[in-house]
Amino acid sequence: MLASHKWLMEWSGLSLAPSEVAKRLTSAGLEVESMRACGENLQGVVIAEVRAMRAHPSRDKLRLVTLFDGEREQEVVCGAPNVPEPKGLVAFARLGATLPNSMRIEERKLGGVVSCGMICSEKELDLGADEDGILLIEVGAGRVPGAALADALGLRDTIYEIGLTPNRPDCLGHLGIARELCALLDKPFAWPSPSLPQRWLSAATTAPTDPAQAFSLATELGAKPAQTVSAEPPVNNVRVQIEGADRCPRYAAAVVAGLRVGPSPFALRYRLHTLGLRAISNVVDATNLVLLGFGHPIHAFDLQKVRGSRIVVRRAQNGEAIQTLDGQSHKLSDDDLLICDGEGPVALAGVMGGASSEISASTTQVLIECAYFDARSVRRTSKRTGLHTDSSHRFERGVDPRGVRGVLAYAAALIAELSGGAVAADALDVYPTPIAPKQVRFRSAKASALLGASIDVKTAAGIFERLGCTVRALGSELDVELPTFRPDLSREIDLIEEYARVQGYDSIPTATPSLRPSVEGNAPEIGFVRRLREVGAASGLWEAVNFAFVAPADLEKSRVSTEAPRVANPMTEERSVLRTALLPGLLQNLRNAQRHAQHRFSGFEVARVFAPSMEAVLPAERYELGVLLWGLRQSWYDEREVLDFYDAKGVLETITHALTGSICQTLLDESLDASAPFLHPKRRAAVLVQGQRVGCLGELHPDVRDAFELEGRPVYAVLDVPALLAVAQACAGKPIEALPRFPASTRDLAVVVSEELPVGEVATVLHSVAGELAESVRLFDIYRGAPVPAGHKSLAFHVVYRDPKATLTDKLVDEAHARVTQAAEQRFAGAVRK
Amino acid sequence: MDVVAAFEEGLGNAASHFQAAFEAAHDEPALRAANARYVGPQGVVTKVMKLMPELPKEQRRGLGQRVNQLKEQIEAAFAARLDSLLHALRNAELSGHSLDVSLPGYGAWLGYAHPLTRVKHELLDLFTSLGFDIAEGPEVDLHENNFDRLGFPPDHPATDMQDTFFMQQPVGVNPRATLLRTHTSTVQIREMLKRKPPLAVVSAGAVFRRDDDVTHSPMFMQLEGFMVDEGVSFAQLKGVLTHFLWKLFGKGIPVRFRPSYFPFVEPGGEVDVGCTICRSWERGPRECRVCKNTGFMEILGCGMIHPVVFEHVGYDPERFTGFAFGMGLDRVAMLRYGISEVGLLYGNDPRFLTQL
Repeated sequence: MLASHKWLMEWSGLSLAPSEVAKRLTSAGLEVESMRACGENLQGVVIAEVRAMRAHPSRDKLRLVTLFDGEREQEVVCGAPNVPEPKGLVAFARLGATLPNSMRIEERKLGGVVSCGMICSEKELDLGADEDGILLIEVGAGRVPGAALADALGLRDTIYEIGLTPNRPDCLGHLGIARELCALLDKPFAWPSPSLPQRWLSAATTAPTDPAQAFSLATELGAKPAQTVSAEPPVNNVRVQIEGADRCPRYAAAVVAGLRVGPSPFALRYRLHTLGLRAISNVVDATNLVLLGFGHPIHAFDLQKVRGSRIVVRRAQNGEAIQTLDGQSHKLSDDDLLICDGEGPVALAGVMGGASSEISASTTQVLIECAYFDARSVRRTSKRTGLHTDSSHRFERGVDPRGVRGVLAYAAALIAELSGGAVAADALDVYPTPIAPKQVRFRSAKASALLGASIDVKTAAGIFERLGCTVRALGSELDVELPTFRPDLSREIDLIEEYARVQGYDSIPTATPSLRPSVEGNAPEIGFVRRLREVGAASGLWEAVNFAFVAPADLEKSRVSTEAPRVANPMTEERSVLRTALLPGLLQNLRNAQRHAQHRFSGFEVARVFAPSMEAVLPAERYELGVLLWGLRQSWYDEREVLDFYDAKGVLETITHALTGSICQTLLDESLDASAPFLHPKRRAAVLVQGQRVGCLGELHPDVRDAFELEGRPVYAVLDVPALLAVAQACAGKPIEALPRFPASTRDLAVVVSEELPVGEVATVLHSVAGELAESVRLFDIYRGAPVPAGHKSLAFHVVYRDPKATLTDKLVDEAHARVTQAAEQRFAGAVRK
Repeated sequence: MDVVAAFEEGLGNAASHFQAAFEAAHDEPALRAANARYVGPQGVVTKVMKLMPELPKEQRRGLGQRVNQLKEQIEAAFAARLDSLLHALRNAELSGHSLDVSLPGYGAWLGYAHPLTRVKHELLDLFTSLGFDIAEGPEVDLHENNFDRLGFPPDHPATDMQDTFFMQQPVGVNPRATLLRTHTSTVQIREMLKRKPPLAVVSAGAVFRRDDDVTHSPMFMQLEGFMVDEGVSFAQLKGVLTHFLWKLFGKGIPVRFRPSYFPFVEPGGEVDVGCTICRSWERGPRECRVCKNTGFMEILGCGMIHPVVFEHVGYDPERFTGFAFGMGLDRVAMLRYGISEVGLLYGNDPRFLTQL
């Protein structure tokens, strides 16, 4: 919402500095987001009087105008078609002036004649949109040659941009903001009065066809119609019919006839311009000024184009069409409200007028509509048609149903003033079920307890009255009648807020609550996921945070489930489904890293993945851990080392150990073909902790790698967090083992086995035959090459023996180790190296 | 040769050679070997001493004194030589080339938690220290939990403040039934439906709005907290949040509460803290792009939980009151780490993530 400082001061009767206004409004919840000074950048632009004019010696379209700028006469070249006769006033930019569009005024030769300055248009001075000719200045006080334009025309103003919250429709007009300022400063506030109409239509020509709908506009304005005229052509008396008052509880209309459509005076055009609206014609400008002034949208129909002497407010028929003022055609549904004349739609209620009854240059009679439409209905129509207008913006937030007559009277008087028209003394007001103001009880004890501040009931009553409420005191309580222009007020808590807001939140003390902690504590998953992230980072990885939505194509390319919940209104196809796995996001991250010529990628992510649910309304959400490794290992001294399967396995070992107390095992598992098709079939494994399957690990399948245009051999590991948590919970409370009291004895053993035989199997066999004395069997070397035959490898193990109850004798160890050696010889075809 | 002559010869030999022998030893084992040749079990001096009983009585005393003197000399010489050898050894160890300290380290493989995670943990810890529990809720939630139960009127422009991603529904189901939550306030509803007062809960997580520009990301992180009990007041809300903001930004940072509107709180407000970029409260007013010279930055939204919310979750609004607050973690992370574009937080560029 843009608001003019000058206008606010006019209507509030206050005299404040703009910075003070901004501070007050912001601290009352009407946040002033920015302030713009107007009329401050027109140094060197003055009023000048035309003294003479003659043809340009060589150019048809240019003329030489002699001007007096208060100091001297000079001749300037001007191309505008509307240079006034001598004595006419124009805006003159002297040499050295800089115009708002950054144009610098210097001596210029135009068609061989030197021009010392420039006569300016509205557009060039940023005073309006008109660029068809120069700005003509009407004679007025202080408008003498040489007067600074900004002073002479009263251009100086400050425009506030207020970030209005949707609960405050009353402040979508200057009236409401002015009232708010008066309330904040404890000053009286009065409605503005328009200039009273000079001419009225004689009653005989304007009597409403339905007397029950009539009310006296003259009485509303406090005027006594003096000079009456009859309209020519005679005014078509209109009858209003509301079908379905739930959508349109109130509809009022007034008539102004014998008017002449033309441009508005400069001051009005300038005000609209500074507030972001374009001046169109006096009638339309008046309706816009009323909208910006009162926050209540009104509409003017060309009365002679209203057919059948009727206004009907009804719902559209399904498929019915209307062409709106902007030239667009809209197909409507029976949820849209129309204003119709005797033959068809003339306006989309509360949103935009129709093209058929639009004000034109030849309009001489207007019907002014001021209505109260149901907010939700206007909003739905606005959303459906995509027409978000100044009007719909206000109606959907709620205008004042009780303000209708006052706004209508002001509008009629303003239109008459600007267009020379005569106002019909009688107007229409159809209001089948008047909307009564709400009553609320305010208890100062309740308010004191809620705010934690002691409340003086008299102060509260004063605040509510200043805000427009009617207050009746009942001891420490108040009966408060709420104004209908504040739809956000409906219960006691709203008044408590108003009290706090007007007093200022600074006035409320600070206190410390006495805390009563809950016994429930946190769900186990919360701490577990946190620890997972911490351990992930401690394992040397950096943490990624990707969007929850991904491209459906990425799910397919990364060979994870494509059964993904879909967003109904995504911003782009790239983010249109919820991720069913973390893999696609991490692969995109890797691709970006490779494109940026990074040498290493070691990222992990812990986040939720989604799956549609058969039985529940909401999709299933579950935390997953993804680890993606690629590139050079972190060592400068051996650049050839590349992160591989075992790096990822090491990370998983660290993580599972930290979170469950047990190191994970990896297992070949054919079922991964189906459950993890994104992994290389020969370079992948299932991951188990304590025999429970918690995830998988492996090199990326070459098809996936190529689909994402990745280089190298990225390794991916994924853990199911709920499964891991279940293992962790099952293992919880495992006591720490006491330290051994007796020394261990270590023997080494090397076995030559076929390349295909997994090390794990060899170790398991050795451990099982070594018996109870063997504490561990640990690989320490793999050797390939002579004398080991091709296709074979030599595995060297440390076998650690220990008796928990006594010191081992060499003899016992030798016996045990002899068994191991013998078993190895038998089992692995005698290829034991000693 | 008689015993005395043998004794004299041995004594003389030893006396004239042990110095040279010790000097010739260039390390400790050689020195100890040389020493053994004189005073070891088979040493010259030891052998000489074994002749003592056979010496004539009248010469025994004099010769005995000489052999003892010689032994002392040898011991002293040994100790001095040993000392000099050890010294030389230590000197050698301490001399030579200096390390090339400019070589890169081998790398300790330390990782990096995401800035949003760090900020989240830090904030959750702050509230945990105040006695709050932590809870989470689903990212896809019901329209009821995200809007209706929080008091958003149907078809109200208040919902425009949070442009929503709706989830696709099968034909015949209300097309707005489920959505990506637009705020973490859904957790308020879920926890209140599940538990009874008193309760103090804080929740952090991803939220979603249809917005995408330099300052808005369609997914971002929010932290939400609320407390419900008998007698909870706006003054306490101010107390808790001021305490929290002082812990987060440093004691004494200006904290300003001003009215604002969120359908689910009343009185509702926004909280500004002194701009941490220009610190104008310490240094005086100055030009600042971040706070647009206002000296303040908006940091969180808050208010007293609206009675309509209590009615929706079955709490008696006459008996219980509560406060709630919410803030963007992205904003805190951006302030904390001086990040200018929200996109960096979700780009997952290793060059960005490994700087922190």
